[in-house]
Amino acid sequence: MPITTTRRRLLAGSAATLALPAFARAQSAVKPRLTVISQWSAGSDGAAITALGKKFEEKGGVWQHSPVPGFTTEMMNKLRAQIIAGDPPACSQLKGPEIAAWSKIAPTVNLDALVAAAGYEKVVAPDLARLHKPGGKWISLPLQIYSTNMLFLSKRAMDKAKADKIPVTWADFNDLAEKMKAGGMAYPIANGGTRPDDGQKFEASFAGISPAAYRAAIMNLDEKTLKGPEIKAAFAQVRKIADWMDPNVGAQPYATNLKRFVDGDMGMMIQGGWAQGVLRNAGFKFDDFIIAPGPSDNTKPVFLLNADAFIFWQRSEPDLQAGQTLMAQLVMDPAIQTMYSQITGSIPVRTDVDLSGAGWSDGQRRTASALKDAVANNQTVLSLAHNMAQENGLTAAMIDVITEYVKNKTIKPEQAVTRLAEAVEGAR
Amino acid sequence: MRDRAFAPSRIFIYLLVSSIAAAYLAPLVVVVLNSLRTNEEIAQASMIGWPKHWAWSNYIAAWSGFCVAETCAGIRPYMLNSALVTIPATIFSTMLGAIAGYAVSLWRFRGDSWIYGIVTLGLFLPQQMRLLPWTVVLRDTGLINTLTGLVLIHTIQGLSFTTLFCRNYYIAIPHELIRAARIDGAGFFRIFWRIILPLSSPILIVTVIWQFTHIWNEFLYGVTFTTGQQQPVTAALIALSAAIADIPQHGVQSAAVIIAALPTLLIYLFGGRYFVRGLTAGAIK
Repeated sequence: MPITTTRRRLLAGSAATLALPAFARAQSAVKPRLTVISQWSAGSDGAAITALGKKFEEKGGVWQHSPVPGFTTEMMNKLRAQIIAGDPPACSQLKGPEIAAWSKIAPTVNLDALVAAAGYEKVVAPDLARLHKPGGKWISLPLQIYSTNMLFLSKRAMDKAKADKIPVTWADFNDLAEKMKAGGMAYPIANGGTRPDDGQKFEASFAGISPAAYRAAIMNLDEKTLKGPEIKAAFAQVRKIADWMDPNVGAQPYATNLKRFVDGDMGMMIQGGWAQGVLRNAGFKFDDFIIAPGPSDNTKPVFLLNADAFIFWQRSEPDLQAGQTLMAQLVMDPAIQTMYSQITGSIPVRTDVDLSGAGWSDGQRRTASALKDAVANNQTVLSLAHNMAQENGLTAAMIDVITEYVKNKTIKPEQAVTRLAEAVEGAR
Repeated sequence: MRDRAFAPSRIFIYLLVSSIAAAYLAPLVVVVLNSLRTNEEIAQASMIGWPKHWAWSNYIAAWSGFCVAETCAGIRPYMLNSALVTIPATIFSTMLGAIAGYAVSLWRFRGDSWIYGIVTLGLFLPQQMRLLPWTVVLRDTGLINTLTGLVLIHTIQGLSFTTLFCRNYYIAIPHELIRAARIDGAGFFRIFWRIILPLSSPILIVTVIWQFTHIWNEFLYGVTFTTGQQQPVTAALIALSAAIADIPQHGVQSAAVIIAALPTLLIYLFGGRYFVRGLTAGAIK
């Protein structure tokens, strides 16, 4: 068969080839390779990123993942060391305001063209999108979402308390806790003793009382709101919750109390969606508990966002650039987000993913619809306890105050308000 | 003898010592028991309890099964990494420390006490402060992401301690011994090998125990300067315990902790005996 082509087509073709960005050309020429560092090394987190790596390899890529065991600090140390050594990973896990902070340390890849091609921006909650394009350009991509203020209810505890209504407002919640307490339950709230656990009690209380005030005080550090009546009411609610918690948990994770929760010796739990996976792996069934959006005084769901994301660091090697392109396409792919969330118990970042299928739990469906409602009503806010609302230094200063308040019951709500405002002032 | 063994004061001392020992050993007992219980059993009952079924499988999972992300090889490869770092770094830092300690204690030269002071200052520098300088050194030597890099770090950082210890030990050796050897024509290294080293076993064993334990248990440098399969055992242990999105793997964790602690435990048991022997050898002379 003779190959025919017009001169014009040939010219247009070569012009297009020249105009293609370097990475796109590289992609066709070399085998995509990706160096990734993340702190996801174990449990469902480890399983999910391993599955993502398999998909990457299926598409012809070379997947080089280096898990950094431990917590965020360890990963940051490693990232810093690699950047200083002139060898940043092509891609690393990073989330919240740290994305903006770190993008000033080393050059990142502009993902605008890829995001536009995938139509990604239209399906991401605006609060979340903003975090991933500091300076107006997409340099990182969110991968999965958790709500940190989901309310877990123990069915056995509900039966014991003869309650069948899922609490919607804090007043409902407090009534139910009182009912459980009156029925002989010593500690109606199942809790852990870690910093994020205490932080979650506070952010759930505050955002549930007023998402607008939460946004002003915690995310924008507005001085007036930081000393205002809503935050004082939030601390008062936290004190109530703390009085219903078992103080004998030390620094244990919340999972320590799961058995008492399922058995109905404890009735409620404020946790992120990850807790359903933990419950399932501990041998409990979805019939043992109900998951609902956390209490909200205006009765519309408030969604405290916690999203994991990948940031892309500039590399000159064509194979790494091709790997970055492939990775970005995978992360934004609805099928990949579905696979990832089904392993970890989160929900996809894309609001257009259908969660009616068999692979999803009721808890995930409720979380996804809460996100939709919250976006519609402007009630999505960023989690403080999980490093989404502020940079590390400020978060640490604020959580110090909160966790002390939870544990030391002699501190009054108004004192806590002053202390928090002072901590913010000091850390700014 | 018999009477003395049952004297009230003796009984009191035994009671006191055994109760202190029991308090110290209680966490170990919990760990050992948990290493023999399944995760489900621990999650559904409590952290403290007697195993219903003996879950020896925890040890198999800990040794060669559990996954750190894509790699499901248990702690075995990481134990090997730790050994490859700890053994040479312990030997190098101890030997260099012995020579340095010998030089600053038994040889007078200009600024010797200054040098000694500066070397021991290293003890007071927090680990985090040294991270960035080490990054630059490893980058320039091309040793980043290698076990050799870790050996270098631990050898050099260990010098502050090993020099301090050896110097404090050697300072008690009579200078006449050195003077006599010099009259016989022995030089710096001959005196070290022939006279000082044979006298040093107690302090060398203390130094080795300290260095070995310290390097084996180190986490920050191990996790920062190596990746994936190159990491030491502490990184694997943290990987096993730091998951927020999973039920705590107490059973496998406990088994892994016990396995990972064995080398240091053996060093203590083995070295401790020689330590006492070394001390008493001097006493009998």
